[in-house]
Amino acid sequence: MSQQLLFGNDDPRWYERAVFYELAPRSFYDANGDGIGDLEGIRAKLDYLEWLGVDCLWLLPYYPSPLRDGGYDVSDFMTIAPELGRVEDLASLLEEAHRRHIRIISDLVMNHTSDQHPWFADSRSSRGAARADWYIWADDDQGFSQVRIIFVDAEPSNWTYEPGRGQYFFHRFFHHQPDLNYANPEVVEAMLEVVRFWLDLGLDGFRLDAVAYLAKEEGTSCENLPGTHALLKQIRREVDKNYSGRLLLAEVNQWPSDVVEYFGEGDECHMAFHFPLMPRMFMAIRREQRFPITEILAQTPALPEGCQWGIFLRNHDELTLEMVTDDERDYMYSEYARDPRMRRNLGIRRRLATLVENDRRVAELLHSLLLSLPGAPVLYYGDELLMGDNVYLGDRDSVRTPMQWTPDRNGGFSTADFAALVLPPIMDPVHGFQAVNVEAQERDPSSFLHWLRKMIRVRRQYPVLSSGELTVLPADNPSVIAYLRDGPEGPTVLCVNNLSRFAQPVVLSLAAHEGAHPVELLGRVPFPPITSDPYLMTLPPYGSFWFELRQVPA
Amino acid sequence: MSGSSALPLPGGTAELESLLGSFLARQPWAQAELGASARRGLTTELVDLALLSAGRPGLASVVVGANGSRFHVVLGWRSVTEMAGTPVGPGSVVAAGADVVGEVVLYDALEDDELSLELLSVATAGRESARRCRVVHSLASHASLIYDERLFMKCYRVIEPRPRPEIEMMIALDRVGFNHLLAPVGHWARGSGDLALVREFLPGAVEGKALALTSLRDLLARAVTGEDPPPFGTIGLAGGDLGDELRRLGQTTAEMHLALAEAFGLGQSPGAPRIRLHGDYHLRRVMRFESGWLVAGFGDDPLVSDEAGSASLGAEKRGHCLEDVADLFVSLAQVAAEAVSLQPPSTLSHSRQLASGWVAHNSGAFLNGYLTSAGIESLVAMERSEAVSFLLETVPARVAGLGLDFLAQ
Repeated sequence: MSQQLLFGNDDPRWYERAVFYELAPRSFYDANGDGIGDLEGIRAKLDYLEWLGVDCLWLLPYYPSPLRDGGYDVSDFMTIAPELGRVEDLASLLEEAHRRHIRIISDLVMNHTSDQHPWFADSRSSRGAARADWYIWADDDQGFSQVRIIFVDAEPSNWTYEPGRGQYFFHRFFHHQPDLNYANPEVVEAMLEVVRFWLDLGLDGFRLDAVAYLAKEEGTSCENLPGTHALLKQIRREVDKNYSGRLLLAEVNQWPSDVVEYFGEGDECHMAFHFPLMPRMFMAIRREQRFPITEILAQTPALPEGCQWGIFLRNHDELTLEMVTDDERDYMYSEYARDPRMRRNLGIRRRLATLVENDRRVAELLHSLLLSLPGAPVLYYGDELLMGDNVYLGDRDSVRTPMQWTPDRNGGFSTADFAALVLPPIMDPVHGFQAVNVEAQERDPSSFLHWLRKMIRVRRQYPVLSSGELTVLPADNPSVIAYLRDGPEGPTVLCVNNLSRFAQPVVLSLAAHEGAHPVELLGRVPFPPITSDPYLMTLPPYGSFWFELRQVPA
Repeated sequence: MSGSSALPLPGGTAELESLLGSFLARQPWAQAELGASARRGLTTELVDLALLSAGRPGLASVVVGANGSRFHVVLGWRSVTEMAGTPVGPGSVVAAGADVVGEVVLYDALEDDELSLELLSVATAGRESARRCRVVHSLASHASLIYDERLFMKCYRVIEPRPRPEIEMMIALDRVGFNHLLAPVGHWARGSGDLALVREFLPGAVEGKALALTSLRDLLARAVTGEDPPPFGTIGLAGGDLGDELRRLGQTTAEMHLALAEAFGLGQSPGAPRIRLHGDYHLRRVMRFESGWLVAGFGDDPLVSDEAGSASLGAEKRGHCLEDVADLFVSLAQVAAEAVSLQPPSTLSHSRQLASGWVAHNSGAFLNGYLTSAGIESLVAMERSEAVSFLLETVPARVAGLGLDFLAQ
């Protein structure tokens, strides 16, 4: 059955209005009781995801992998890790999801493979091997000296010696993740074959991992090079030609002015993450002033038609602080990661709930911003419950613990013995599954889960929140960020947010909307009409309001 | 000067002078300028009159001398029936008069949106127009009008001898490329003096004092809620830390001083260069906008009330660049004291301790930004330790002189 028939909604620009939901298949739900989440488990929870109101799932890598980097060390691109299921299971999951109008994208790790991948096994075997030039080899470790080391905690160099060839191979990330050589057309064709394979199966697109580093050029930082853009354009042409409506979402942890290049002229990636916005939302709340947010928004260029930002609060990685100044990073550490265990590389490996010290008001405020600022919001599994983390687990496993479904054994994640679980579920008294779980929050109409579900629904009713123009309004109080989202898609929406832990007054200049009647969107409460005078509002601590500016005929 | 006969007043100049005398005597801004002499009665003299728009509504610019001062009145007039549609209050009415058509009312035209829009065109020689205008009331020596949230006019009520330092500095800094300014768009002057200055308006900008109070609010709340205070010396680790912002403001200030040196030249005194100073540099003279800091004013700040700032800039002031820095440090202490005054008496001791640390932390951050700015060493002309010594000699004494002994550390 074709994807189009399954959907009934064949808008090729669906992603502009979508709410994404990122999940780790190994940690979401274990359907076969082996202690590891699987694709069948995701299928079993589609009712929940449909109820929540998300439009697209983003699955972390499901490929076979030695799992030395959370599955981002792929050892075979053309199949599914056996513990997660079979290719047929993914097809079944796609069919069920599409029936519910939920799309699914998955990670595509293009930059590198695992050192266990057969391609690398062949390449490292000898300089005369069939795939000898599929990776980047050199006789010494002096090349690409301007390339920064990403995992500064673990890797002293971007080169590792391989005795089999008597040469060094280049790796941008871990030493067990050799970078592919895209200067070799055979590699390009092999990766295109991977793309075709999954899209033919019905996958709705890819989140392109570490996409800024694909091309290499001596004497440069090997980031954002023209060769990388040429390669992405080639993939996009393939998608446009044979797979209309599928998504390419770029992971580029760079400044917006650089990231915007990844949209090309609307002929490269459909979406890219807006990395610098995320830490600044947290910074703005701690500083109780809007400038960290408005400053980065002012630096964010307009996008070509048909393109969209992906914005997020937390994801499977650390809260990355690469795109902030040194002073700002020190500040963020002092505010959000006083315990050194909470830090990793240039970031903070904590979940939303613990970052905001379980303050539901802050969590609501952050989600109000997430759902109303320009971009498609990407939720991270468990954050809809305000799930906690476990900083005693290694690497980024702190934020990849099992989803908490019920207060029962293993949080309802698996029926396996505790010792067999992929990771231990959270069991502390505040965030543990006994207290925080889907079942409890579904029953409680005032839970965070219900609140978020309602906000997602409201957002869907107002298309301008997805794709409208953003106008930041002047406000005399620096603790308040107020903005309009408007456009031809529908009624204008006014968003007013108090970043302070104290009640705040604000005077807004709304004279351009004189005569409009603001209607608060959660309670449909009419507020006093706007006149030519400054508009006074009072906001509760961390308060956030969305208003429709309703035009009343004269 | 256009003849007063152009106005709808049969009594001519003498009647106009008399009416303006009565009008000025009722205006708080004129009383503030005239002081005690206003109580002895006003002797007025018409100095300049420019008819800007004949007919109805009409508009004229009038400069009138009174007891040694000169005042600028933007005069408008409408028929009695038209007045009903304007927001002009009784206090702004100058007189009722008559012309060939009938009864008219003369009034302060800055209260009239339609005429204020016309005034923008006059002040910018026809280069600018707007659809909306709002008046930001001020009791200072000027009225402030904002057009379409885009342009900002400072219409002077008190005429000062030219060159008015504020205008002179604004235009000179703009010419040498200092762009941390609300850039001048139009300057309206006649032989009698500077009448108005039009600048760009950044609606999202927030004055430095508001940011400082936001930071202090977060810090001082720890005293109220009984949270552990951050150890002295680690104020920068508190949530609402302003240090990063002050460091950037220090950089902007250094750029301003370098631009002032370029625009007005250097004077040499034994030991260090002397530059044209801002002369009244405090947290209400600077504003944070989306991309950084800007210097919003050099005299009476148009967006704030009279009592906000220190004395207006009366005359050119030259000196060592660190004098402006000292002014800003004193301002930090003043704002900290204001925040402390809002705290409950039971936490006063704790609040004062925190506020003192806050002033020291943010002064340090500002100074770091200032002294590490490229090129500023040529103006500072002393080692960092000497600069710190200079400020430690200057600032605590001034702070103590303001009665803020607890901050004079």
